[in-house]
Amino acid sequence: MSAATAVLKRLRFSRELVLLGVLIALIIVMSLLSPLFFTLGNMLNTSRYFVEVGLMALGMTLIIITGGIDLSVGSNLALVSVAIGFTFAAGLPLPLAILFGLVVGMAAGFFNSVFITFLDLHPLVVTLGTFALFQGLAYGLTGARAVSNFPPWFAYFGQAYLLGAVPGQLIIFVLAVGIVWIILSRTSFGRYVYAIGNNEEAARFSGVPIRRVKVAIYTGIGLLVAIAAVIYTSRVYTARGDVGLGLELDVISAVVLGGASIYGGSGTIAGTVLGVVIIAILRNGLLLAGVPSTWQLFILGVLLLVAVFINEFFRRGEE
Amino acid sequence: MSEARAQAAGTESGAGFRRYLRRPEAPALAFLVLLVVVFSVLSGKFLSVTNLEAILTSVAVLGVIALAVNQVVLCGEIDISTGSMLGLCAVAGGAAAQSIGGFVLPLLAAVAVGALCGAINGTLVTLGRIPSIIVTLGMLYALRGVILLVTGGTWITGVPNESRFLGMGNVLGLSVPVIVLFGLFVVMEVAGRHSTWGRNVYAVGGNRRAARFAGLPTDRVRFSAFVLVGVFVGVASMIYMGRAGSVQTNTGTGLELQVVAAVVIGGTSISGGRGSSLAALTGAILIGVILNGLVLIGVPGIWQQAVLGALILLAVTTDVVRRRLVGDTA
Repeated sequence: MSAATAVLKRLRFSRELVLLGVLIALIIVMSLLSPLFFTLGNMLNTSRYFVEVGLMALGMTLIIITGGIDLSVGSNLALVSVAIGFTFAAGLPLPLAILFGLVVGMAAGFFNSVFITFLDLHPLVVTLGTFALFQGLAYGLTGARAVSNFPPWFAYFGQAYLLGAVPGQLIIFVLAVGIVWIILSRTSFGRYVYAIGNNEEAARFSGVPIRRVKVAIYTGIGLLVAIAAVIYTSRVYTARGDVGLGLELDVISAVVLGGASIYGGSGTIAGTVLGVVIIAILRNGLLLAGVPSTWQLFILGVLLLVAVFINEFFRRGEE
Repeated sequence: MSEARAQAAGTESGAGFRRYLRRPEAPALAFLVLLVVVFSVLSGKFLSVTNLEAILTSVAVLGVIALAVNQVVLCGEIDISTGSMLGLCAVAGGAAAQSIGGFVLPLLAAVAVGALCGAINGTLVTLGRIPSIIVTLGMLYALRGVILLVTGGTWITGVPNESRFLGMGNVLGLSVPVIVLFGLFVVMEVAGRHSTWGRNVYAVGGNRRAARFAGLPTDRVRFSAFVLVGVFVGVASMIYMGRAGSVQTNTGTGLELQVVAAVVIGGTSISGGRGSSLAALTGAILIGVILNGLVLIGVPGIWQQAVLGALILLAVTTDVVRRRLVGDTA
């Protein structure tokens, strides 16, 4: 029994290593499927697409560790995007419009947290409501129109190359990963996040400021979504109300694939980053290999289910 | 603790208003009456038999699915795969209608496909022990992928008229969708109150551990609730096909949100154990009345999504306030 437990513990300890193995295997398979895949240019370009999902996944990791969920991230991205685009179109200088967008994103996250903490409502139903509300506002307020006459320097956030070939947003992502990693693993706030997910009642009796922690993480993901929205809007150079649809699936899949338990209490930033990269490479590789996008939906859905199943299977083994 | 309060409230014979407040669908019913009055004043066209029947016909698909998802929510689970499931059932029924025709066989095909999808959901939730939100989120995307694979992106058109009975038919001056909706409502209301299965659903959702210790087959109850959703989605898909006369690959997109909205707006608690079939029906009709009323008073259609989201938040907030009111008086 104890030997078996030890093996399982080692397995869990090396979960990130397993994911790394999966990633390497995936890269080999994709390279065989398409000669275009394993080139520096394609690798770096792939990173352009996972930064937006990755930023949101960082925040989602903390939320899922507390046992919560946020389905409204894709809609919030749309709301921030049109907040920037349409205040700019209305005459606000672009730097201020971007600042306004960041405020809108955080306000939206804060809005979620108020319902979740002060009314004690399940995050699922709250964010399902705001999923519709934010998307609807983004759509309704703009009359389903688009803005795209941004000044050339706006492209810097989403289209710039540093040192010749490194996409600019990759730097932002690496910085964000570092900051969130420090918060989660090196601060008392990070311990609170795990404590809430493991046993909220026990955490409350131990004096963990549960409401404040939750308000902080839901507002925090709002900020990360807003940063992702700036990058996204800059990359596609257009602000429209119907962007970001279905992004929440990519984000949640990445976090769950990275090993965070959907029941809360466990998860790591390293795992999430690996999850994000694996999904991005899968999408990019399937595209290059000529697999139709309809299959991608199917594969992503199945991948999510398999990842959660494996997670919970191993967790049960430990108990 | 809240269960104890609710029980205490149940045995005490309080004032009429408090007793009314204790019913989960009370705020939604009151709101529905209020809205009907408001829209009748704002638009002369609203309160006519033709318009009211049109509203009920238009919410039949939503209402039928909400009645079944209501049972899943009562179990303490959730199903957000119904949008894609409706599309797939409609494709199956549509294909059967095109090749074989008639009314029974397409319906059976649609119901069978729905039941299969529901069984997959139920198996993953009970045996796989994956949270239902993740299972059905994954299925929402996977099934949409299946639809595109099966149809290759082409529409199913030219459905023969006899296959469109559930959507177009008329019996004794009433449209068939409305009859199906209210018929299934009565079945679910009776099953919920008087059948062992219906009581088990409440017990499992109220306190799953207690239900298991009491010897109830908690897994089988939850599994059957997911299959029920599949069956009802199958029926709803034939109402849909009957009304539309064709099946597009994006059939049912976004419907899952409206369904969950109908259930929680009606007053069924998202954490399970509290609610009723009347709540789901009220919620569905409320959504129909609001969407119809907004069009009549000239609000552009692009605002529908925002209104729906605001309604969900308003409904769950009202539910919290109502429970605190009842809790304080008990």
